[in-house]
Amino acid sequence: MSFLHINNVHKRFGETHVLKGVDIAIEQGDFLVLVGPSGCGKSTLLNMIAGLDSISEGELLLDGRCINDVHPSRRDIAMVFQSYALYPSMTVAGNIGFGLEMRKVPRKERREAVDRVAKLLQIENLLDRKPGQLSGGQRQRVAMGRALVRDPQLFLFDEPLSNLDAKLRVDMRSEIKQLHQRLKTTIVYVTHDQVEAMTLATRIAVMRVGELQQLGTPHEVYDDPNNLFVAGFMGSPSMNLVKARIVEHDGVLVAQVATGDTTLALPIVRDREALSDWCGRDVILGLRPEAITDPASANHRDGNIHEAELPVDLIEPTGADLYVVTTLGDASVNARMRPGTPLRPGERTRFAFDVSRMVVFDPESERRIRDEQVVDSALEETA
Amino acid sequence: MSAASPAARRGAATRAVLYAILLVFAVIYLMPLYVMLTTSFKTLEEIHQGNMLALPGEWTLAPWREAWGSACIGLECNGVHGYFFNSIKIVVPAVLISGLLGAFNGYVLTKWKFRGHKVVFGLILFSCFIPFQIILLPMARVLGLLHLANSTGGLVLVHIVYGIGFTTLFFRNFYASFPDELVRAAQLDGAGFFTIFFRILLPASVPIIVVTIIWQFTNVWNDFLFGVSFASGDSAPITVALNNLVNSSTGVKAYNVNMAAAMVAAVPTLIVYILAGKYFLRGLMSGSVKG
Amino acid sequence: MSNASPDRDGGARERLQRWLPKLVLSPSCVLVLFFVYGFIAWTSYISFSDSGMMPDYTWVGLHQWSRLWTSWTWGIALHNIWVFGLLYIVSCIVLGLILAILLDQRIRAEGVLRTIYLYPMALSFIVTGTAWQWFLNPGLGLEKTMHDLGWQSFSFNWLIDSNMAIYTVVIAAVWQATGFVMAMFLAGLRGIDGEMIKAAQIDGAPAWKIYARIIIPQLRPVFLSAVVVLAHLAIKSFDLIVAMTGGGPGNATAVPATFMYSYAFSRNEMGIAAASAVFMLAVIAALIIPYLYSELREPRS
Repeated sequence: MSFLHINNVHKRFGETHVLKGVDIAIEQGDFLVLVGPSGCGKSTLLNMIAGLDSISEGELLLDGRCINDVHPSRRDIAMVFQSYALYPSMTVAGNIGFGLEMRKVPRKERREAVDRVAKLLQIENLLDRKPGQLSGGQRQRVAMGRALVRDPQLFLFDEPLSNLDAKLRVDMRSEIKQLHQRLKTTIVYVTHDQVEAMTLATRIAVMRVGELQQLGTPHEVYDDPNNLFVAGFMGSPSMNLVKARIVEHDGVLVAQVATGDTTLALPIVRDREALSDWCGRDVILGLRPEAITDPASANHRDGNIHEAELPVDLIEPTGADLYVVTTLGDASVNARMRPGTPLRPGERTRFAFDVSRMVVFDPESERRIRDEQVVDSALEETA
Repeated sequence: MSAASPAARRGAATRAVLYAILLVFAVIYLMPLYVMLTTSFKTLEEIHQGNMLALPGEWTLAPWREAWGSACIGLECNGVHGYFFNSIKIVVPAVLISGLLGAFNGYVLTKWKFRGHKVVFGLILFSCFIPFQIILLPMARVLGLLHLANSTGGLVLVHIVYGIGFTTLFFRNFYASFPDELVRAAQLDGAGFFTIFFRILLPASVPIIVVTIIWQFTNVWNDFLFGVSFASGDSAPITVALNNLVNSSTGVKAYNVNMAAAMVAAVPTLIVYILAGKYFLRGLMSGSVKG
Repeated sequence: MSNASPDRDGGARERLQRWLPKLVLSPSCVLVLFFVYGFIAWTSYISFSDSGMMPDYTWVGLHQWSRLWTSWTWGIALHNIWVFGLLYIVSCIVLGLILAILLDQRIRAEGVLRTIYLYPMALSFIVTGTAWQWFLNPGLGLEKTMHDLGWQSFSFNWLIDSNMAIYTVVIAAVWQATGFVMAMFLAGLRGIDGEMIKAAQIDGAPAWKIYARIIIPQLRPVFLSAVVVLAHLAIKSFDLIVAMTGGGPGNATAVPATFMYSYAFSRNEMGIAAASAVFMLAVIAALIIPYLYSELREPRS
């Protein structure tokens, strides 16, 4: 039995259906990130887990116990809020200890617990300050301290890093990750930032307008997306999506992309069984920028590299990488190349496509076209 | 250099004119207060012979003493001091109770919203703006039925009821700027309705408490309509007593005593204004704009 | 249900917690419903009844209203409130705006000047009335002062002139409220985006044009608030008139508020008094309700 089980949960506010039957189950020690654009219902779901919003339909099980009707303070849950929600008139120590005080923990024990958490978060020197005298990062720590001190079964984080500047956000992100690895706690974390989701999660739940799009490990969600939305949402720069047609060419299944005066034919190596039914039909190809490179950087060992000469429209050096924009079909396509590759806009160059990373979508339903089971050996067959 | 200097001179001249205009206005605004104060320290003789704008030739405290202790108001000649204390007896409970109710209302209307909370707030808020003539007749009867007519207790009730609108407005607007997450965090910490209010919101409400107290104090202290309608005689507040003293048609007009009595009525609110003008202005502003 | 034993003991407390907010709000609601809306209903009914010295619930239709409308004094009161209100609102806004613009020129003693302009607002109307009554006293006040200063022909006896007395009330009322209007405009001016003004300066617009074309049009919400607040104060004006002129000479400075008071408490004509009060409420409601509605309507999130 899973530790936290969100079982067919619905939420309605009057006429509007905010959550349309969400199913998520995670194990103890998991770091679940709910990610999606604003309005997808992720914060509502988090508030429902906390008990701050009621559940219209469905069931919420924590450690085997249904907590639908349990008061927030008795769910054994702690939460870190986006605005931190520090009590303005109390000191840092008062803030951290307030939950224990409400639970009638004796003063001495409380003091010890506060000190322990303050030490863990390195905020011992701030204990007598008021929230108004703290910086954003310090407030963030205090908010986490307030959650940690209670030692709950489940931690909830509601976009905790969105009010910090970029540098601090990265630092706090790795601190949260370290904390999770050290304390082995179970966490549900809401964010709209897919980088945060990728770096922190053991499980990612991608949501969109009240529906769960995909639940999986970061690797699954990134490399094996369920549909166009997940493919487009995760990753930055996002996945290239190109119109193509599946045809059989000398007994080999290929995806044809008409581009300019030539036609590019990319052999299909993944999901061949499912795609053989799509012969002669239009599809959408998905290729991550890092799956399109300069021939020298490509990994030729598996024989999954397909090269083609294409025009260079634009080059965008980021320092670590060089993104090259070209045109494929009627779409602009981002390729990630080795920095320093000598290219100029307007000239033509060879691009290397790693077709083993190519995913294909049904343009109508926007769903992924994939085989029943992911057969790893399928990748080796073409070798 | 030579090109800049006439422009600079014109700029300086403009600023001189600017300051002169502002200064003239300041003098005009201060004039009535100045005349009131100087007159209250003059003898009646000097008032009749001398210039209104002149400082007292001979300073005297007699008008103040008379206004406070022996001026005749109606049939009694005990000065305004009794009415001064009446006003205090009315102001203190009225301000505290209406303030507390307003604080609770603001808390509920922002942090414990329920279906129709806006309608309730609208109904409460509208009571700030009604012309009080509309309630004079029934209120006089109800106070009679409650045996509160002509008593300071009756005025306390009246000021509480018609003060709730403003106090609720102040606290509602103030608490609306507090994140709702604060209440949610406290709920997760196990705090209930009153604990959240008294431990978390109220200690952070000092500025709005000051605004509310000053506003209510000024309003209740300066009230005349309720006082003259519901509390004649011994239980009248200072404003009613002042008006009776000044506008009684009998005898020689003792302008110096009148001015001294007016100053007695004005001093408490003036002191509050000078000490906490910033908060006074904030009250005025949020009474007119959403804030 | 699976959440049986550990949570049940908290059930009663939780149910109480759920009702507490409404419970705490209810005393205020009861007070307001009874003392505001109940009283409005009662007064409205009385205006259609045969009440005189005592309430008499006999329905007489529009009888009291027609008596009100044919009353000579009520005509004067309406005329006065119209004159008073218009002059008061316009003067306060013009003076308040001028003072605010002048004060907004990085004036060194701004704090002190603001305090001076605003202090009359802290005074009771009765104190204001007393002071101005004395200040404008024809025998001993401003007139005599001017004579003493050598301006022998100066004459200012408006306070006892039936045709002019209402203007003395306007002067005192404007003196009292201008500072407040100034403060509202000043807050509005401080809220205007400075970059827009810089852009206009770079475009070469002279200062007065920047004010006339860019700044003042942006103060529209302040104008609206000021008009509503001042109109509301004007219609409620009672104290100042009682203290300065007592509604006199004769009935010369009667306004609806003094009219209502004298019919209610001196002349024992409850019916007419109630009708006049309902009329005042209707005028204010027509002004305030749309204003409150637009102020309280929040953008949907």
